[in-house]
Amino acid sequence: MNEHDDLSARLRALPDQRVPPARVWQGIAAQLHEEAQLRRLDAVPAAVPADAVTAERARRRPRRWALGVGLGLAAALAVLVVVPMPTPHTPPPSMLQRQADVLAGEYQQAMAALPAATLPGDYQPALHELDASARSIRAAIAENPRSGYLLGQLQRTYALRLELTQQAVMAATGMPT
Amino acid sequence: MRTLLPLSATLALLLPLAALADTHVDERHPLAAGGRVEVSNIAGKVTVRGWDRNEVALSGSMADGLTLKQDKSTNRVRWEVVYPRNSNTRGGATLTLRVPRAVEVQLGTVSADIDVSEVDVRRLQANAVSGDIAAAGRSGETTLGTVSGGIRSRVQTPRLEVRAVSGQVQAGGGISGEITAETVSGSIRVEAERVQRLSAEAVSGSVDVAVGGLAPGGKVALQTVSGSVGLALPAMVSAQLNVKTFSGGIQSDAGKVERPRYGPGRSLDTRLGGGDGDVSINAHSGSVRVTLRR
Repeated sequence: MNEHDDLSARLRALPDQRVPPARVWQGIAAQLHEEAQLRRLDAVPAAVPADAVTAERARRRPRRWALGVGLGLAAALAVLVVVPMPTPHTPPPSMLQRQADVLAGEYQQAMAALPAATLPGDYQPALHELDASARSIRAAIAENPRSGYLLGQLQRTYALRLELTQQAVMAATGMPT
Repeated sequence: MRTLLPLSATLALLLPLAALADTHVDERHPLAAGGRVEVSNIAGKVTVRGWDRNEVALSGSMADGLTLKQDKSTNRVRWEVVYPRNSNTRGGATLTLRVPRAVEVQLGTVSADIDVSEVDVRRLQANAVSGDIAAAGRSGETTLGTVSGGIRSRVQTPRLEVRAVSGQVQAGGGISGEITAETVSGSIRVEAERVQRLSAEAVSGSVDVAVGGLAPGGKVALQTVSGSVGLALPAMVSAQLNVKTFSGGIQSDAGKVERPRYGPGRSLDTRLGGGDGDVSINAHSGSVRVTLRR
């Protein structure tokens, strides 16, 4: 049942089938008409002088090339317009990545709630270090979504980031630590 | 007149120095075993030494403009160096604290270094931001934490917690029982005796642990993301050893390293001796080395 639902959802997600504009068909029809005329010319009666026929054929040859190119372009256009292009497949985020996202969101909210202050220089390198570490842990989680211990490492890093930010804000605002 | 001129000039030069003179500190308070003493100072240095008296003493000097705030009760004394807000005070306070046996000592600094030795206390807690912490002596429970400062512990303690962000952590000198060491980018080096629980975690920092013995059912857990891990165990240890990495290599004196037929990852799972305790190592891209000491 789930498989059926999934297939239906994927089908619904495909782009709608579109009909080429009318002018594309008109162009193709005009070119086909010219082609038919050329075929009739090839079947000329024996009474017509051979030189005249050759001259007429030479005059019309470039138009044959133009017809081929035109048909090719029209076909390519039709393919581009009508056939849906495959979208690049990106794997859905793993459970661990989703948990990491939730964790990051919660700590960001907690830090945003702290009063804005210029943080003392003593704390700055460590705060940058913690941010860089959190990024590298999240990259490791994306690489290996089965390593549950990495989530613990991420949580520890975010908790430390929050604690240090609180300390730095208190030091900057003169509040007791 | 000729002698007065240089004299007045010298006095004029010395006058600003007199205005910047340090304030001397000399405080005492009776404190019996079980009491608690706390010292808070931003810059300078805090030195702690033990003695055989039932009182605590704080001595030293503070830069001009700093004041000492005191909060005393029968079983507790707190000294805090107060720095004036928005002032250009240069220099901090250099303080020495003498503590009796079996008290709790709690120290907090920002850039001031902390130096503790010759103590025998119930509990030692020291925190700094950029200051270094060096601690030795005996303590029933020890917690040391810095942000960028280094930690060097030679405290004989059955319970140790050391935490740093980018600072290096070194701990030895008779630690046993329960040990926790955590850093982010700083390295961890722990030399422990008989261990009940040992946990060491780093992100990019390396972890090097040597264990003298494992208590029955003891646990050792080491984790890094990109830092390397080194563990030395006694050859006669009884534990189940489990090592997992994603892209890091594994070298071990015991067990066989397994690799999946497809995909990344390495693992090792083996029994050492009777397999009583648990030793687990997790590293993402860091390499792991397990040595058995004969």
